[in-house]
Amino acid sequence: MTGERKPASCFLDEKTFRLCCRLFLQHSESIQDGWIWEQIKGSDEGFMKKTVLIPVKSSLLDKQHESIQAENTELPTDDFEADAEDETAGVDAVCESHAVLRYEYHVLYSCSYQIPVLYFRASALDGRSLSLEEVWSNVHPNYRQRLKQEPWDTLTQQEHPLLGQPFFMLHPCRTEEFMKPALELAHAQNRKVNYIVSWLSVVGPVVGLDVPLSFSTAVSAPD
Amino acid sequence: MIMADDKDVLRDVWFGRIPACFTLSPDETTEREAEPYYLLLPRVSYLTLVTDKVKKHFLKVMKAEDVEEMWFEHEGTPLKWHYPIGVLFDLHASNSALPWNITVHFKNFPEQDLLHCSTNSVIEAHFMSCIKEADALKHKGQVINDMQKKDHKQLWMGLQNDKFDQFWAMNRKLMEYPTEEGGFRYIPFRIYQTMSDRPFIQTLFRPVSSEGQALTLGDLLKELFPAAIEDEPKKFQVMIHGIEPLLETPIQWLSEHLSHPDNFLHISIIPAPSD
Repeated sequence: MTGERKPASCFLDEKTFRLCCRLFLQHSESIQDGWIWEQIKGSDEGFMKKTVLIPVKSSLLDKQHESIQAENTELPTDDFEADAEDETAGVDAVCESHAVLRYEYHVLYSCSYQIPVLYFRASALDGRSLSLEEVWSNVHPNYRQRLKQEPWDTLTQQEHPLLGQPFFMLHPCRTEEFMKPALELAHAQNRKVNYIVSWLSVVGPVVGLDVPLSFSTAVSAPD
Repeated sequence: MIMADDKDVLRDVWFGRIPACFTLSPDETTEREAEPYYLLLPRVSYLTLVTDKVKKHFLKVMKAEDVEEMWFEHEGTPLKWHYPIGVLFDLHASNSALPWNITVHFKNFPEQDLLHCSTNSVIEAHFMSCIKEADALKHKGQVINDMQKKDHKQLWMGLQNDKFDQFWAMNRKLMEYPTEEGGFRYIPFRIYQTMSDRPFIQTLFRPVSSEGQALTLGDLLKELFPAAIEDEPKKFQVMIHGIEPLLETPIQWLSEHLSHPDNFLHISIIPAPSD
């Protein structure tokens, strides 16, 4: 992987991953940010989990609008004109009564890439799972251009490696690209970082996950 | 006993086939009765890649408005298209009579169990993603990253068009390692079993011990699934490509010769048949 140029700077071993998570969770508990650790029965493996309810654009739940999008493109367009059209189409469209989506975020460790990976799934309150197209339209336009470049390096549906259910995943290859500048800066300033805090603060917002600023100041790095 | 040439093993793995019988689910709305469809499935490919003919066959008796994304099920279990066909068979039907009976559905897609597969590019993306992950384990990703886009395409086209030589012309690079290392950095493998909620077991495992000894399939199982190597009584079968390799087989050799085209060694642990 490209991390070879600076050995170990972009990689995280499993022990450090767990320590970083523990410190992260301690702070989350103190500010009631909702993260918990989920342990896998009969093993020492686990992951961090958080469920949030987020309000949705009115165009999102319009079935008619969706099917037109799906027919026209494999991946949603990302130019601003299309966005403007989405909004107006949404206003005219019939909305379902549920204007809230349930997003469930999981932070797992990938031993293959030796970095954390963000998995998430989204559903309407009636339990209906969101499609990749619907999830894409919730990705901030600023991020869509970059994510679209490599089809198999972006946001894809994947089997959750510990639960076996379909989730969306931000592919690890792109994550490295986001992380490098942050880690190099800290290294240059002789600062220790909590990898999980830095990483999640960068990748989380891409898929609608907010990491309060206090995490960056309050959470320490493992020794 | 004459040992098969290593190259013969590669061919036998690639050309392995499973006879299957596809039947339309009684839940589907049809204009007339649907005949079952018989097909030989390649062990190393993916269900959604090789069943265009199955789809065409059943669409003949259905109205377009009753047809959504096609999915497959065996005895009530939705079949994960993103697992190689041979793995699905070994896991769910290896001790049942042939042909493998698969039920075809065109509605009520099980969102909680199956990934969507709208086009062949989804399969390609998944396949290449597995190859990339395997190389991350074997070579820190150096070999796959040094290949050009057209080389990646060759791997996929080789699988899609069932072209052994085309595929292996590229894949052999992914099977190389520095002689002094004795093997890959870590072995790409997954252990499947149906008796747990967890879809598979995958961890870091070096093919050579710190003392320079070549580790075996038995060593891998002793660490991750010791119940599978118990003999008295034998509770489990350890299956790779439909056979039970000897536990003494070096894991490096298995990785080079019995991996799937996705470069992973897929190991199925199933209950031993009770006689």
